[in-house]
Amino acid sequence: MCKKLVQMMQGKIWMSTNSQGYIQSTSLVLRFQIQQTFNRPMFDLTNFIDQPKSNSIFRGLQVILADDDGVNRMVTKKLLEKLGCQVTTVSSGFECLSSLGPTMSPFHVVILDLHMPEMDGFEVATRIRKFRSRNRPLIIALTASAEEQVWERCLQVGMNGVIRKPVLLRGLEIELRTVLQRAGERLSS
Amino acid sequence: MERNQMHTQVANTRKSLFDQGYLDDQFIQLEELQDSSNPNFVEEVVTLYYRDSARFLSNLDQALEKRPLDFSKLDNLMHQFKGSSTSIGAKKVKTECTHFRNYCSARNAEGCKRTFQNVKKEYTTLRKKLEAYFQMSRQVGPVETACQAR
Repeated sequence: MCKKLVQMMQGKIWMSTNSQGYIQSTSLVLRFQIQQTFNRPMFDLTNFIDQPKSNSIFRGLQVILADDDGVNRMVTKKLLEKLGCQVTTVSSGFECLSSLGPTMSPFHVVILDLHMPEMDGFEVATRIRKFRSRNRPLIIALTASAEEQVWERCLQVGMNGVIRKPVLLRGLEIELRTVLQRAGERLSS
Repeated sequence: MERNQMHTQVANTRKSLFDQGYLDDQFIQLEELQDSSNPNFVEEVVTLYYRDSARFLSNLDQALEKRPLDFSKLDNLMHQFKGSSTSIGAKKVKTECTHFRNYCSARNAEGCKRTFQNVKKEYTTLRKKLEAYFQMSRQVGPVETACQAR
């Protein structure tokens, strides 16, 4: 179990044995990113551990929302803004990727519709995770599907959460909070 | 006195849209997003829906003319249209969309064509009802009707 946790954190864990085959020591290597200071105020993820109920924790959260449907974009954006987020919307995977480029200001969270033409959410997430940039946004999928395989695939490509469509304020709030709390816990541990 | 009567009329019209199954809870969510900084949010979303979805419907019309029918493409188009319709709480439209997709899965051409006529019918009916409702609401002025319990 430890091994699995460490692997999820992209680290290594191993035991060393002495000449008689007994375990002598355990070694653990974890990689952490050194946070770069940007001009935009840093978003302190450790806030999320201490304030489980407050909605002001979303204030200042920079979100990019990618959905090819205009109506869905408009509604989801409004829901996010109601939670206090600052939202940028794009209508395709391509636009999303260019908005996350190295010279652009960082986004904390990427919310991706899975079912987009040309480049779907899985493809976008895969490419985001390939960036070796210091900006490692949290990725949340939007999908009408309730199938477990779909959700599992989301996790496989490196997404942090899934929200079922149609998006409801409560569902959005809960998943966003959960994803941020988990990220905050990872940073502080 | 007259104003109160108008308020009541608007509230009743709104209630009947829910009672008769034209709208569902998603519409209420839109209403809850409407506030003083966005006083026309609901109408704006609905207007956008009718503008954007016209494209889906004409694509579906065209796709239904092809022989043989490409059920996969039809299903894909309908999936998107259904998503939009769901977002605004268009309950009857959504139901017909689901029927359509079921016929696609069953590769039932007649079923698809028949259901598509129903989709368009419900879509048009809802549009008329919502236009009337919004016009009535505008005459009465900004009101708390949006937050009234059903």
